[in-house]
Amino acid sequence: MQTLKLKLFFAAWLAALVGHAPLGAAAPKHDLYLSVLLSGQGQIMGGRAPALSGVYRSTDRLKVEHVGFGHIRMFQVIGDPHSADGLYLAALNGVVHSKDRGKTWRILTGWDMTEPKGLVIDPNATDHIYAGLPDGIAVSRDRGATWTRMNDGIRRSYTQTITIDRTQAGRVLAGTELGIYLTEDGARTWRLVQPTTETTYDLRQSPHDPKIFFAATTSSGALWSEDRGRTWRPIAGVPKKHTLHNGVFDPSAARRLVLCGWDAGLLVSEDGGRTWLDRTAGLPNRQIWSVAVDPDQPGRLYASPFQQPVYVSEDFGLTWKPAFFEKATAFNLTFVPRS
Amino acid sequence: MKTLSGLALAVVFSVPLARAQPSFKGPMPDATVIVDASLRRAAYLSRIDEALIWRAAMAKPGEPKTFGLGEIVAKLARREDAAACSERLIELMKAPTGDMFWMFPVTAIYYLGRDQLTPEAKAAVREAWRVYMPLRGDTENHWAMYYSSLYLMAQQWPDEPGERWFNGKSSQENFEESRDYLLHWMELTTTTGQGEYDCTHYIGEYAIPLLHLATWARDAAMRQRGRMMLDYVFADYAVETLDGMYVGAHARTDDTTLLEKWNGFSSFFGWLLLGNCPPTVSYGGWGIYFVAAAKNYELPEVIYRIGTDRAGTYAHYERKRTRHRWRNSDVRNAPVYKTTYITKDYAVGSDQGGLLQPIQQHSWDVTWAVPDPRGVHNTIFSNQPHFSTYELMMYFSEKPDFMPATVTSQGKPTYISESKLLGGSPYEQIFQRDDTVISLCHVPAGANFEQVNGFFSKDLARVEEDASGWIFTQGGNAYIAYRPLAPYEWKPLEVGGKRLRSPQGKNGTIVQAASVAEFKSWDDFKAAIRALPLEIRLEPTPRVAFTTLRGKKLVCTYGAAPIVDGTTFDYSGWKLFSGPYLNAEVGSGKLTITHGALERVLDFNTVTITDRVKP
Repeated sequence: MQTLKLKLFFAAWLAALVGHAPLGAAAPKHDLYLSVLLSGQGQIMGGRAPALSGVYRSTDRLKVEHVGFGHIRMFQVIGDPHSADGLYLAALNGVVHSKDRGKTWRILTGWDMTEPKGLVIDPNATDHIYAGLPDGIAVSRDRGATWTRMNDGIRRSYTQTITIDRTQAGRVLAGTELGIYLTEDGARTWRLVQPTTETTYDLRQSPHDPKIFFAATTSSGALWSEDRGRTWRPIAGVPKKHTLHNGVFDPSAARRLVLCGWDAGLLVSEDGGRTWLDRTAGLPNRQIWSVAVDPDQPGRLYASPFQQPVYVSEDFGLTWKPAFFEKATAFNLTFVPRS
Repeated sequence: MKTLSGLALAVVFSVPLARAQPSFKGPMPDATVIVDASLRRAAYLSRIDEALIWRAAMAKPGEPKTFGLGEIVAKLARREDAAACSERLIELMKAPTGDMFWMFPVTAIYYLGRDQLTPEAKAAVREAWRVYMPLRGDTENHWAMYYSSLYLMAQQWPDEPGERWFNGKSSQENFEESRDYLLHWMELTTTTGQGEYDCTHYIGEYAIPLLHLATWARDAAMRQRGRMMLDYVFADYAVETLDGMYVGAHARTDDTTLLEKWNGFSSFFGWLLLGNCPPTVSYGGWGIYFVAAAKNYELPEVIYRIGTDRAGTYAHYERKRTRHRWRNSDVRNAPVYKTTYITKDYAVGSDQGGLLQPIQQHSWDVTWAVPDPRGVHNTIFSNQPHFSTYELMMYFSEKPDFMPATVTSQGKPTYISESKLLGGSPYEQIFQRDDTVISLCHVPAGANFEQVNGFFSKDLARVEEDASGWIFTQGGNAYIAYRPLAPYEWKPLEVGGKRLRSPQGKNGTIVQAASVAEFKSWDDFKAAIRALPLEIRLEPTPRVAFTTLRGKKLVCTYGAAPIVDGTTFDYSGWKLFSGPYLNAEVGSGKLTITHGALERVLDFNTVTITDRVKP
């Protein structure tokens, strides 16, 4: 395992030499976390893994270090508002917490909850955690110590993504199998605000304007809301025939955002979603699993083409270079604040 | 019936013979029913020893790669080479891999080695359970392995804090969570039905953890539940076997066992428990973890009799449930209705069709008995080849588009192939009465694929295409009439035999089986089938009206409930088990197992086993 880690470290270091530049002199305010499958599509649960999958962290954007356990399905990493060393994971085994940056872990959920995909902490009530599960939504009011299922009002409760309105405690949006649901009372009741024909995979709130939300769906295209998620409209110019996996606002440019998906490639808008430019050229395929915008380095974008290296662009998708790993499926790329 | 002296000799000599030639390579076992309980037990113990001796001998001195967890468990079960086992175990615990498939072998090793392993070896195991976080998995069998192992190890290492466990939970928390899941699963299975039902391979992934619970749980009630669930799983298996081969519809099987019916892990249990078929190669591989503790279990005679008595013909009915449906369904677990008709010469089994399980579902077939099943494709069936992200999203919480291609690289190579013979279809509707199956398909334009595939084995003794539209076949002592509902062509199969490809979306198959002994001649059989009243209509939707060889008037229309002898068939009264041998009501938690005068009642409400011999 040590040898494998060394190889991965070396590969990342080599990629860094020919790839993107390190961060500038200012210390980054965020760490990059990559939740990846590295052992190929053929990897099955219980099988011997030829590579160490799981969560990797990059503190300098040059190299990555493996964090925690080597599971082949890790879906999301978020920070712990109560501790700079704390991390929460949405993983196949449940919601998992580390208090020491990944040295030790505790699974917070029990046998009755599996495969959480979305995880979010309410910034206005930081003991409150919301988890999107294949069979509904679970809420903890005590930092994960205990959980309650709170799906009232949701038909077909498969929940892939969940996000908080940072302006109001207990105001949460959930992307489910058949639409976007909104709660304004901490998940006690939910109402459908936007029906979809298939799963909504990503929901984001603009870092620049809290009224604006953005959704990426399976066959309903990309959706836009300007009233804090109450009403939605389709975004023109984004194909509906592809599954959209991920959509991200650029924290350093108010009108810029990026989305990606299976066969959809990688699309960038510089005008708040009015028009879209295809920035897939330079990536090895159009099956883009996830994207992330570096909050510490304006213009830097990461993308994960299916079963390819994780790529980086310094010019927001105009040009690309491989950054990490030889062959990865990145379920999630995310930046976690250091404090 | 086997005589006392004859069997005693067989037992005495079986072990040395087995050393020279393991049963999976040797001649067919003598399948004579053993009446005497002590002789039956002796034969069982002899088979256990055969497997343990064989596996223990696989470890070669100086070749660490030959000395794995399976060899260690075999040696510890035989109480030999404890020092070498300890040394090797310390090495193996440095790099754990295999998730839940690692947990139960190590659990068995630890329990068997409690008074044999060195303190250093035990410490290495303990440390591995601190640092190695196994995946819990996403299937019912994964969880059975994960939680039974965690239950036993939390029991073994009580009162330890979360820091001592891979998941950060204390011994007490792990013990309680494992216990709660196991009780939940047992209740769900015995009231609503198993989700991964009647699997030709995964039966072992339930039987092994249950045996470990039955053997090593300190709580008497959990030990009893483990024993009762073993009886439950094995009764469920025995009643749907033909010479040890698991027949009929399966939640999961694979491309090999689909055709070579014997070649599944389930046949290892046929060999071990019923003694009426050879084990699969290497005693099923995982089988070693069952035999390592198998002396602590005794198959009840009533189940043994059900598995070995094929003197009479019987129809057996079961209700199961689908695996958890995450998407594309308003119900979490839909009911599965199974019918199996068994004679000494053949078996016919089916479910109702539809997408009941992802990828590896097998909905219906006819299986015929053969003198030696190894290498024999003793089955005939058709399927509607289907694959879709819709199916995969229903049962998996993955993103959709990559899944179909990915499945083919995960040991299910035929998933997206038009020539596939394995898997369910949302466009197939099946009805069985006795030994007649009617399968109707209505595939919408544009779906994958607008056709029906029929499997015609290399081992069919006869195949005749008749001007009437029937295809008459014979396998072993079974005559089987196969009626495609639409034009077809023949395609050769790499494994031998041929595939009937009927490229039409509105389609289907009728099959009628019978024993050779029921007819004076082959020609008489054909004449009898030709004479059966039959109306076929494909437009606007497939419909068949057929009077069976057993005199039942069946009318099946795609999308409608079947009609039997003029009465619309109602599935609402379908029991968890019904038939001459197994009976259970839905929701009851109580299974009555009967054979002749023998009766065993497994009551999971009171956690009691009640045996009686009826007057």
